[in-house]
Order: sequence, then C-alpha cells, then structure tokens
Amino acid sequence: MSSAATEPLRRNSVGWYLYGVAAAEDASTRVTSPLAAGTEEEVELVAEGPLVGVVSRVSLHEFDESVLPERLSDANWLEQKIRAHEQVLERVLEDASVVPCRFCTVYRSEAELRRFLSERRGALEAALDRVRGKVEVGVKAFIDRDRFAAGLAKENDDFRELTVHVSTAEGGRAYLERRRLEQLVASELEGFRGEAAGRIHARLLAAAEDGLALALQAPELSGREEEMIFNGAYLVTANRDAFEEALASLARDVGGDGVDLELTGPWPAYNFVPEELGAE
Amino acid sequence: MSSAEPQTLKQQVTLLDLVDRVLNKGVVLSGDITLSVADVDLVYVGLRVLLASVATLEEPRERLSADGARP
Repeated sequence: MSSAATEPLRRNSVGWYLYGVAAAEDASTRVTSPLAAGTEEEVELVAEGPLVGVVSRVSLHEFDESVLPERLSDANWLEQKIRAHEQVLERVLEDASVVPCRFCTVYRSEAELRRFLSERRGALEAALDRVRGKVEVGVKAFIDRDRFAAGLAKENDDFRELTVHVSTAEGGRAYLERRRLEQLVASELEGFRGEAAGRIHARLLAAAEDGLALALQAPELSGREEEMIFNGAYLVTANRDAFEEALASLARDVGGDGVDLELTGPWPAYNFVPEELGAE
Repeated sequence: MSSAEPQTLKQQVTLLDLVDRVLNKGVVLSGDITLSVADVDLVYVGLRVLLASVATLEEPRERLSADGARP
C-alpha cells in the first residue's frame, strides 16, 4: 500500500477516519453532538468546497495497517466500530444524503483528507446526485418448509392425499410415506426458490428507483433456521410509502407459499454508490 | 421453530446485515489506510466467533460458503 505505511508507527499519532461524504449545504452540525453512550467517537465535519467529509479523529495506534489485522479479529472491537460507523452515517442521513465510505477508510492527515475531497470532487458530487433524496432498504425472503408443504397440499390433490396418509400411517409404512413426502416437497422447492426470488425482485424493483439482488446470507451467520431464498437491496425515495405498500401486498401474495419477507433500513445507500471512485 | 403467521413484515437489522454493508459496500477511496480483501475475510472469521457467542446456532450447513455466495 502507500509508502507511508512503512514509516515507523508513532504512538498517539492521529488519523482521520472518513465515514462518508455529504453536500455542505445539507449536512447539519447536529451530527457532531455526542453519540449514544458506549461510543467514544467524536464526529467532525470537514468542509472542502461544496462537500463535507464526516470524520472522527482516531488513534493510528488503533487503526494502522500494522495493527489492523489484530484489531479485526477482536470481535468486540469490531462490533463496536461497525455499529459506530453505521450510527454516524444514520445521523447524517437524518438531514442530508450521504455517500457512505467503506469501513476503516483512514487518512494520515487533514491535508490528505482535504486533498482527496478536492481531487475527487466531481465523482463524489455525481455519486451524491444519484442518492439525493433517497435511501436504501433491504428485503430478505425466507421460506418456511412446513408452510410451503401445507400450501402444496392445498393446491395439489396427490399431495393432499399423501399428507393424509402420512398422518394416519403407522410403523414402517409411515416412515416410507414420510420420506416420499419429504422428497416431493424438496423437489417442488427446487424450482420454487428461483421462481419466487425472481418474482419478488421484479415486484419490488417496479416500486423502487433501482435494486440489486445480493448474495444470500449463510445460515450459520444469519442464525436463521428458515432458508433464505432472496436478499435484495433497493434504492427508494426517502418517503417510502409506495415501496412499503408494494412490499406489504407482495408479502400477502407469497405468504401462502410459506415465504416471509423481512425489511431492513433505511440505510445509507451502501449498495448504490460506485465501488471505485476514480480521480479526475 | 414455531409455525409463523401467514405473513410477517419485520424491521430487523442484524449485525450480519451491518457487516455486509459496512464492510463490503460503500465507496472504496484511496485512503491512506483501507481494508484489503484479506482483512475483510478476517472480519468474517471474527464475526463467526461473535455470532457464535451471542446466538444459539444450529449445526452449520454446507450449502453456502462463508461470504454467503452460492457454491
């Protein structure tokens, strides 16, 4: 990385942690008031032309590349910093649109930070324009296998008959019939997942400015027993009424098939800003 | 798990949702210090520990890889 990384690490040297960038005319100094108990970050706004960087001064002893890997494996440190990052951006979002930065974007001096804001002004303004007046929401879909099977039994006579057999059969026959039913449910589910995910995404996209299908979350990380079949992010107008109506109506439609929808947000538009921001 | 209502619409933000955004999305700037891909992988390892300590987890299934992508 930068040559500065090889400089000897001085204790107490200060870095500038950049949470995000907003338009100077929108951002309120309210974000600089102390955060909730438990976080120690003091937030400042660094104005450079029409933009402000939302920053905290941090100790490079804590964030330098030489110590970062160790910090990142400290789960408590990590959770606290991740939550603080989001919390600061959500406060900015109350007054202003914001281009969120990735976790741990740190400058070694205020001058470097200002130089960056000024050099990337055009790209930052374009990114801000795209998210102005909008927020990101997340929608996740989970399938409840039992309700999916019950839905199949309602629509399909063979399924219903088999379900009845399973509930009345005894001994070895019960085992075999249950196995057969499980296999049938699994094979129906195979086609349903993709079809339902496509339908959900299309309906939500129609009510949003933009949308993306994200990678599904691993069950061992999500801690959910139900299988996730869809994970989407949508860019919607700050007034989310139309989108939430579409979501509620969709939830009613897919609920009978055993699909539950979960809404998260509003988020800063993490998924709708360019990943790389080129210099001009 | 008990059978759920016909449809549920919950406002639920998990740490995982946060991590997926704060760590994997957002503008990557030419900061003097930025996370590398290896750093982010490390975070998911740390997260596993964190989640295991706060949640009762089932036996991990093998269907999905650590980053949630389909195999």
